[in-house]
Amino acid sequence: MEKIIEINQLTWQYTDTDHPALEDVSLEIEENMFIGVCGPNESGKTTLVSCIKGLIPHNFIGSYKGEVRLFGKNIRDLNAQELAKYVGFVFADPEAQFTSMSVEEELAFGMENIGLGSDEIKERIQWVADITGLESLLDKSPYDLSGGQKQRVAIASVLAMQPRVIILDEPTSMLDPIGKDSIFNICARMKEELHMTIIMVEHTLDRLARLSDRLILVHQGKIARYAEPERFFENVGELLELGLNPPASIVFLDQLKQAGLYDGPMTTSVEETIEIAQSICARKEAIK
Amino acid sequence: MEGAQNKKMMKTLLALIPVESPLYSFHPVSRLLLFVITGFIPLFINMPELNFMFAVLVLLLFIYSKVALSSLKMYLPVIICAGIFTFLTFIFFPGKDPNYQVIGHIFGLPLYDQPIMNACIAYSKILALLLSSIFYFSTNRERDILAALRTLKMPFVASYVLGLSLRSAGMFLEDLHTVREAEQARGLDYAALKFTDKVKLYSMYIIPLLSLALRRSDEISNALYVKGYSMKNSGKRADYILTKYHFSAADVVSCVILVLLLFLIIYFKYRYQWFDANHSLLQTLLK
Repeated sequence: MEKIIEINQLTWQYTDTDHPALEDVSLEIEENMFIGVCGPNESGKTTLVSCIKGLIPHNFIGSYKGEVRLFGKNIRDLNAQELAKYVGFVFADPEAQFTSMSVEEELAFGMENIGLGSDEIKERIQWVADITGLESLLDKSPYDLSGGQKQRVAIASVLAMQPRVIILDEPTSMLDPIGKDSIFNICARMKEELHMTIIMVEHTLDRLARLSDRLILVHQGKIARYAEPERFFENVGELLELGLNPPASIVFLDQLKQAGLYDGPMTTSVEETIEIAQSICARKEAIK
Repeated sequence: MEGAQNKKMMKTLLALIPVESPLYSFHPVSRLLLFVITGFIPLFINMPELNFMFAVLVLLLFIYSKVALSSLKMYLPVIICAGIFTFLTFIFFPGKDPNYQVIGHIFGLPLYDQPIMNACIAYSKILALLLSSIFYFSTNRERDILAALRTLKMPFVASYVLGLSLRSAGMFLEDLHTVREAEQARGLDYAALKFTDKVKLYSMYIIPLLSLALRRSDEISNALYVKGYSMKNSGKRADYILTKYHFSAADVVSCVILVLLLFLIIYFKYRYQWFDANHSLLQTLLK
């Protein structure tokens, strides 16, 4: 698959800080992948995705070394409009990204910026409202919605621009369980139906791992791990030390491994974990 | 009962507006013109009774537009305060004129006819202007206001800044409410505070509110960048929201009538001195 994002030896330090937020980071992301990004607080997750979006260095002040290439183009050579066509970005706080007075205007705003005509904007609003379940809310003010609805509007406004990459920076961190579910369901639908490259920063590793093709662990401004979920969870102890909560199925399989009862691959699927447990029980019964 | 009213009215950043109103069939430009003209006409009329009739006409427009009149209660303090300040100013600082006639006394001070008349004229104009402003914000969403301005070819950047300003005013009040709630949660009793302590407290709000405002402006700047907006590229762009509004024959007719009405009033005022104070019934009564 084509490499669409290439980060080469990137180091970024915000002004007035003692150490770099990202240090000598190199990373390649292929097309149509769902990438999960996790790590402890202040590890550099948001900085990493801000570099991919181009918010850094365009909108922040600091020291920038190395390069980020989007579809082969250096991010420093792309303007806001070009970047918006390539990459969409959803912030943790939905209210922080609203710039309009109604949901419909909010959805239209980004499309107007990238130069679409009114007819196409109308078609895309209907399409994106259908995907995100916002049909009945188009006329409302985005500030009068529930937390989950607000985040759906934020995702829809980015999705409507049909960028090739969508970055979601902790989109569920301010939501209740129902709101979290609705966002993960939309992400699953985006992955299944839209074939976009999705990069999601998230603390809820359980749901993230099940959706991700690959997971990135960011720690102290470096990429500590970048692998498929099966390989990513091989060393559970280190993740627990960093304060991350691996999925329950992974913790269970890790305990089985430590007890010498299992030495197969790790899986995030609950169904597969049950099958593994059943086969271990069957083996034990047979030995008896 | 309250629930039923809430369903009929909805909240905007600036006021409560009816969910459904016959006025919504008019283009936002017609509604803006109605506001400008109903606000301007009283400025040319120096007959308080005519201006009070005009205020009643605006109140009838409230009823026609299905605005719940109970929602006007919140503006009563402003309307009453404006009246008190206007009359007190003219009564206690009447100025000097040999033609003034004493019509009574209050707290030992003489009451003159002309300053009372002037107070009535000024207040009737203020009242009509206040009511027409309240009427405009009670029948237009922020989106309608911006659509009207963009239809009139206001540059996108200017209308957008106006929209963000309206939004930030609402958010500033929300932040203030949050800060006050946090203080109350930590045991601060406003009722027990002296006036001077309350003033000190309000000055202390400036720091958290200012830092919150700065953070929000930073967030909005990032949000605009993320959505591909930059001042350089803001020249030619589609304006999707304007496609939602269309000028009808009723709009054209109403705009023509409104403009004609304004011109007729101006013409008769300056050509034949109609609407001058000396034609006023109140003036005759005071004399």
